[in-house]
Amino acid sequence: MSEAGNVTKQVDAAREQAAMMPPVDVVEDPTGITLFADLPGVPKDKLDLHVEGDSLTIEGEVSVDMPEGMEASYVEVSLPRYRRVFTLSKELDPSKVTAELAQGVLKLRIPKAAHAQPRRIEIRAG
Amino acid sequence: MRLEDLKQGFTSLWDSVSEGWQRLRQSAAGALIRFMPGEGSNLPAKAEVDDDFYLPSHGWALLGGDVFEDERRLVVRVEVPGMKKDEIKIEVLDDALVVSGEKRFERESSEGRYRVLQCAYGSFRRVIPLPARVLPDQANARYADGVLKIELPKAFPGKPQGHTIQVS
Repeated sequence: MSEAGNVTKQVDAAREQAAMMPPVDVVEDPTGITLFADLPGVPKDKLDLHVEGDSLTIEGEVSVDMPEGMEASYVEVSLPRYRRVFTLSKELDPSKVTAELAQGVLKLRIPKAAHAQPRRIEIRAG
Repeated sequence: MRLEDLKQGFTSLWDSVSEGWQRLRQSAAGALIRFMPGEGSNLPAKAEVDDDFYLPSHGWALLGGDVFEDERRLVVRVEVPGMKKDEIKIEVLDDALVVSGEKRFERESSEGRYRVLQCAYGSFRRVIPLPARVLPDQANARYADGVLKIELPKAFPGKPQGHTIQVS
């Protein structure tokens, strides 16, 4: 799996809607990939995961719900959107992606396609 | 998948101009926090991680903080993802709020190979200056979606104070 790095695509995306790239951890084991991403402030209903071909997009909108009438005295978080796009290698099976979101941390599990998984070959005694 | 593909893609978190500026602003403002793993933190050694930027000794993360106010109270919002709520410590000083804790690293499986390790783990401490005096005993805090929201009633209710400074 690799990061989508096409420059023109990114300039267009930046123009549409500026977003921050969340930091990620990617672990690979023989049966698939586990990805963790820090998306603080993104509730489940504002998290969007979609796969198009071999491209996986993680997008989330931060909900800053403050009561009415509050003045911002000091604000650091002013770009309330996260986006990161990944290119999935052919070994992975995107249709079997599972995701969990807890306390702002997204955990995605993308298994390798059956044909790419390690297989033990039975050796029959002849 | 090829290691070269992964390395190519993950070299930078700052891929768009606007994002680069946002990160610079946040880090200049005080959101850039150092995370120091402790003795038993269990982080992988450098040789076990394919991420060139990874350092087991310490990490960095942007823990964004906002302070909102109205006449009766201050509301502070701090981004601290991936914690358990009873592992976050909040202290109220005269003119600042201190949020500290330890973000634990949990190894997924013993067989996995870390390709990218950008999230920060370990002990951290973030100080947020408060623009008004507050009553700490009446403060309350909530932790949801990885964001800590702390409400602090003002000791002297009133409109947000501004101070004009003469330039001589």
